[in-house]
Amino acid sequence: MTKRTWSERSGSALDQWVRITHMLFCCGRDNGAYAIQKGVGIMELIYGLVTGILFGFLMQKAHVIRYDKQVGAMRLTDFTIFKFMLSAIIVGMVGIYFLKDAGIVSLSVKSTSLGANIIGGLIFGIGWALAGYCPGTAAGALGEGRWDALIAIVGMLVGAALYAEAYPALKASVLAWGNLGKITLPDILGLHHWIVIVALCVIYVGLFFLFRLVEKVE
Amino acid sequence: MLNVETNPIFRSKGKGGMRENMNVLIRKTWSPYLAGALAGIVLCLSVLVAGKYFGASTTYVRSAGILEKAVASDHVAKSSYFMRTKVKVDWQMLFVVGILLGSFASAQISRDFTAVAIPPMWRRRFGTNKAPRFLVAFLGGVVALFGARMAGG
Repeated sequence: MTKRTWSERSGSALDQWVRITHMLFCCGRDNGAYAIQKGVGIMELIYGLVTGILFGFLMQKAHVIRYDKQVGAMRLTDFTIFKFMLSAIIVGMVGIYFLKDAGIVSLSVKSTSLGANIIGGLIFGIGWALAGYCPGTAAGALGEGRWDALIAIVGMLVGAALYAEAYPALKASVLAWGNLGKITLPDILGLHHWIVIVALCVIYVGLFFLFRLVEKVE
Repeated sequence: MLNVETNPIFRSKGKGGMRENMNVLIRKTWSPYLAGALAGIVLCLSVLVAGKYFGASTTYVRSAGILEKAVASDHVAKSSYFMRTKVKVDWQMLFVVGILLGSFASAQISRDFTAVAIPPMWRRRFGTNKAPRFLVAFLGGVVALFGARMAGG
């Protein structure tokens, strides 16, 4: 069953309006103003911008986008990022599965490939530790005035271009190693998803208490 | 029962505690638990309303493609990776731009915006010379994105 999102069902009214206005004012002339977004609806872009603003606002308020917090997390001397991420995971996990069970949304599961995930993850970790920013937080860090994040962003663009060149060679090797397909934790464990969700919530809340304990010792 | 003033979940560390600053938006620091939980709600709403999960690294691929296209459009057109990850402006690109704007707005409102080139932790360990920091930030960025794309996200 294909599920339609709210934007497809109701939000397209504005999209229609933009399309009609575009037709009226630019009749016949394909000047590219709206044509650039063929197939990407303008609403989708507005949703992206608004969601990003909210997310960036929250990350800045929690101080999780700055270098000292990122590297502090990797050195296990600062638990702010763990607290933020695990809280977001708990709420997101419960919320998304609740909506999925209600039949309103569907999961977006990426394929697991042991070669790609392990080797790629290790490479990412080295780069993340050196830069002190990851792809999303680099943008946020630049927003709060950290100029070195701009240099990291330029590096990331170069890294993306290099990966595009390496992709044909990697596709036949690393990316194909240990390909397990689109699996989830409940699938592997053979347990009902709510059992796994509750267990993970208990573990994460346990970690919160552990962080407080370690902070007290320090 | 749940006292907002004393409960550690709601109490933020450092300057600008509950009592000192009642205007939440002006406050410099929010509890990471609270901000994280709100981010979880934002994710749920995004999936519900737009059908979009969060991600950022694909944007760097698309942006690199847009830049490369300006110099060598034939090369991009032939690239198997850019055929798979289309060179276009999409939800995620605006999401990443939004993160920058949201962070800027938050920092401005709370007067937390500080233009610095070298992070304090780096400065304490390696000094105030900009060149080494910029070189490592650049190389780190290259390696991080390459690894992220290999790992699939």
